[in-house]
Amino acid sequence: MEEEKETTTTTTTKKKQCFWTWALASVIFRLVLIHFSRNLNLASRPEVSTPLTSLRRLAEGYWLKQSSISPYAGSMYHGSPLLLSILGPLTVQRGEGQYNHLICSLLFVIADFMTAVLIRATGQSLQMAYNQSLKSLGIVRLLERSEMLSSGDIAALVYLWNPLTIVTCVGSSTSPIENLFVVLSLYGACRRLVPLAAFGWVIATHLSLYPAILIVPLILILGYGPDSPRRKLFQQRASSKVGENPSTDIRYQQKELASQPMLPFRFSWRLVVHFILWASLWSCYVLLLCGISVRRYGGLGEMFKSTYGFILTVPDLSPNIGVLWYFFAEVFDYFRNFFLIVFHVNILFMILPLAIRLNHRPCFLAFVYIAISSLLKSYPSVGDSALYLGLLGLFVKELADMQFSFFLFCGYVGISFLSPVMHNLWIWRGTGNANFYFATAMAYACFQIILVVESVSAMLNHDRMLRKLSIMKP
Amino acid sequence: MAESETPKTRPRPLVRLGIFLISHSLLVSVVCCTAGVLALLLLPVLAKNTYISENALMPGSANAMLSSEDISEAHRFMNDLTGLNLKTGETGIESSRLIARYMSDLGADVNYHKFHPQPNQFRPLHFFSNSDSRIIQENICCSSHGVNTVGIIRAPRGDGKEAIVLVTPYNSHKIDLAEALSLAIAYSVFSLLTRVTWLAKDIIWLAADSKYGEYASVSAWLRDYQTPVFGDFEKPYSEICCESNARHGLKESEITERKISDVFRRAGTMAAALVIKVSDGNKQADGTLSIYAEASNGQMPNLDLINIVNNLAVHRQGLQVKVEKLLSLLDSKWLRILGEVFESVGNIARSLNPQWKFGIPAADYMEGAATLASSLYYQALGVPTGSHGAFRDYQVDAITLEISPKVALNNKIRQTEFLQRGGRLIEGVIRSVNNLLEKFHQSFFLYLLTSPSKFVSVGVYMIAFALLVAPLPIVAASLYSDANKWDSSLKKHDPTSSPKSADDEHRNILRSWKWLYAAKQVFIIHSWGVLVSLLPYLICQMPNWMSKVLTWLILGSPIIDADASQSQKREWAILKSVTISAAFIGLCLMSVINFATAEIGALLLVPMCLLAHPLRLDVRAHSLKAFTRAGCNLVLGFIGFPPAAFFVLKGSFEGFESVNISDFWNWIESLWAWNSATYLYIGMVHLPCWALCIWILLHPC
Repeated sequence: MEEEKETTTTTTTKKKQCFWTWALASVIFRLVLIHFSRNLNLASRPEVSTPLTSLRRLAEGYWLKQSSISPYAGSMYHGSPLLLSILGPLTVQRGEGQYNHLICSLLFVIADFMTAVLIRATGQSLQMAYNQSLKSLGIVRLLERSEMLSSGDIAALVYLWNPLTIVTCVGSSTSPIENLFVVLSLYGACRRLVPLAAFGWVIATHLSLYPAILIVPLILILGYGPDSPRRKLFQQRASSKVGENPSTDIRYQQKELASQPMLPFRFSWRLVVHFILWASLWSCYVLLLCGISVRRYGGLGEMFKSTYGFILTVPDLSPNIGVLWYFFAEVFDYFRNFFLIVFHVNILFMILPLAIRLNHRPCFLAFVYIAISSLLKSYPSVGDSALYLGLLGLFVKELADMQFSFFLFCGYVGISFLSPVMHNLWIWRGTGNANFYFATAMAYACFQIILVVESVSAMLNHDRMLRKLSIMKP
Repeated sequence: MAESETPKTRPRPLVRLGIFLISHSLLVSVVCCTAGVLALLLLPVLAKNTYISENALMPGSANAMLSSEDISEAHRFMNDLTGLNLKTGETGIESSRLIARYMSDLGADVNYHKFHPQPNQFRPLHFFSNSDSRIIQENICCSSHGVNTVGIIRAPRGDGKEAIVLVTPYNSHKIDLAEALSLAIAYSVFSLLTRVTWLAKDIIWLAADSKYGEYASVSAWLRDYQTPVFGDFEKPYSEICCESNARHGLKESEITERKISDVFRRAGTMAAALVIKVSDGNKQADGTLSIYAEASNGQMPNLDLINIVNNLAVHRQGLQVKVEKLLSLLDSKWLRILGEVFESVGNIARSLNPQWKFGIPAADYMEGAATLASSLYYQALGVPTGSHGAFRDYQVDAITLEISPKVALNNKIRQTEFLQRGGRLIEGVIRSVNNLLEKFHQSFFLYLLTSPSKFVSVGVYMIAFALLVAPLPIVAASLYSDANKWDSSLKKHDPTSSPKSADDEHRNILRSWKWLYAAKQVFIIHSWGVLVSLLPYLICQMPNWMSKVLTWLILGSPIIDADASQSQKREWAILKSVTISAAFIGLCLMSVINFATAEIGALLLVPMCLLAHPLRLDVRAHSLKAFTRAGCNLVLGFIGFPPAAFFVLKGSFEGFESVNISDFWNWIESLWAWNSATYLYIGMVHLPCWALCIWILLHPC
């Protein structure tokens, strides 16, 4: 993860070359690991494959479907029926060995690669917006240094070389595909491709429900444009300019305003309405496809019950890296519904305050939402962390002064080694117990909380610094 | 950040405490390290008496039922076995047939288990990937196979879902008296258990053919027991080729042996296993019972199992129980002085307040320390101390009981007496375990023994370790924050130097991400460590000349890298900070996997990491403090190198004349062959951290 940071600071052409070399190297590394994937046995790790994302469960669901039984029978499969029809045929083992298995893994590698490319493109458009806003604020000094690094490249490479991403990809869980659609929706919104954004959002929501809350940042991106300093700053600056230069004619100002269409002070309702229309269109389409696919097995009601219902009611209490399984294993049955509501409202509870505070930085808001939902999710896996850590790379300039970065890094490294060891101690050696494993899950949750808190405060500090600079240098 | 400094808000108490600790890191680290070492030395004093935690066990609540008839039967059995030895030269099959016949005469289900010794293979991922240990080898030599004889008594009161295992290893080629005695003890108990009514768990008697080592035979049987094979096309690997030559040798059509078969028979899940051995009563002939409990990677059986054996042996059979101890420690002077100091401190404490029961006699302290040292050593080694280790891999609690007779067992009366004692002990243990309702879970799994009846639990010994490693994060944080402060002070000095070079500017932006470069170096060195620890595996796979080239390439690669690295001033502090963090993570991880390794490793690694300081700076400083530090660093750097550490430790315990160069390689190879986590620790944590410390020492600043 570190090497590429160094390398991306050279000239642009070299930078580009460097990026593609490293990206290709990561793909090759994945292919090598896939070759050994049977020895690594990652697919059975609870950190990698949850009941929702496990490919083995998907194979089971596919087998049930082939035998004309509902894929949701027997509480094995809980994913989307669309995924079943796309990935299902690839999970069947043929006589001639693991051929299909390889294709399936290849699909995940491609998904990871596409995600990285999309993150890079998103980063480029974010950077463009950032540069433009800095120019219009007149803070050129910051701009100079911002050209040193291309945050998109960094984010993409962080995503590709993150060990968590690699483990998820090699461990054949479906999270790379979920991540792809989340990033696709962000990309679409940043590039103002409304149908694409709506498509990404609908599919991501369909696959794992939690991306539904991303509708807030998506609407903000479409309405206000990508991340920028606070809008008040532009207004102040515009007004101060008007006050200082009364001699310049009004036409010049209008021209200046017209030359910056990317800095909207007003909310553009047109795109948002388009987005909502497209989203409803896509969701109707997806529901139609799902309806056709599960028509014979209880219809959409059955599907909702065993996908979204499974996510929301947390019936599977097998250990994972989240905190819910332990809690709901302990809680008394008659309080269960109450605590289910409490836990899920926790996520919803944070939406509004964060949206108000960070409404000028919708992409960062999306990152915060993803991090929080991966923290409070019912079946989290390291694939979710991989996504938000990759997105974190997009804000590398803004978060340059982030505190505790080293501490967090050590924490993540330590937890990712300690968690499998504790699991081994509990399940295989029998000398530990569930508390050992849960302790690492709690530590992991703490580190995630620190990460979110620190990154948000670093971002707010950055905004303050921009304000100071723009006031100081009129 | 600048504006957060201007309003002088007092930070929260927790943060203040952290800042306080970080600013006094030197004092804190000295105090913590001393306290950690002291706490380790205090462990024999802090040991508690063992107690039977599980009420259901009720050891010794029933009278022993082993009668003289059983004993005389066993004696006959023993005579037959030894007689067999005299009659024919080749007794490999004869002896197992004899045992099987005796077993089936008692009414047990008997079967033969044929196995091939599996050469130990290094599987680097063995620790994490558990199942699927069945690797079928292509080139099994059909002639070399051992035959275990297994007898199973079905419990009249049980449902056949649980079982207790007795293991008696014997060499089928040549049964000596001690082995025959151990078989006879097992036989006497077995014959008793076929008649009793209270049996609730099945009894499995495994007469393990130790022709290829005890461990190999027991683990082969366990592997086949625990991983049933379904269907015809996948035969257990043991039956691939030996069917033809084994069947006709073993199968007999006598009516009495109708219960003997080649079909693998099973009872339920194993509650406990006892490995019975009799030592040749030549060396220290006193009626003692030695208990061996360490399984792979320092895993121990439940303490209750040791408690029962200890309780019954001491209070019922009058045997003296002992566990392994490091004998060379017993006559070391400094330990005696230390023990006397502790004793006098304890006396003072008692005179102040009679309630304080602190302190033990110096002799007891020395015994305890020697036992603790050997307990630590064998756990740290990660190699099982006997065939009981195979059971722990399947979560079965098992120990080896080695009974050594009081006098030479030549005449019959002595033998009978010995058999009775041993048999009654085993009977008592089995009766106790038979009472068990669940798995062993009440007592401790993580403990160190200081004597057969005293133990140090995880909650106590973790304190010593935690104190020892506590300075690491504090010093890392202090170094890190110092380096950052230094950077920002530099920035303050020339705030208006307008034409800053791009590189400088860039570094300032990433002020808080500066550690990434150091992290890169640490990462590279650690991946080198991974390569080094995989080296034996790679060498096995490759032709000779290529492996040699590879070895030198891998071992020499960090030197090349060290040359290439351009370093800025002050960079070593960040590097040291990251190194210390890596060492901390590694040690904490290892303390969970195998505490003893982590403790010993921490004793070596912590001072080395904490003291590391560039030699060039020390030499330049021209002060006494700097020279002492440089000297300490050189000594620690020498001791920290794994082979050097091995020789120094071995030399100090066994005398330097016995040290041989090839010892280290043999030692490493045994760790490697037994899949010990200690090997991985040495390769992936200790060696890279040592290399990084040396790098810091030689840092050009």
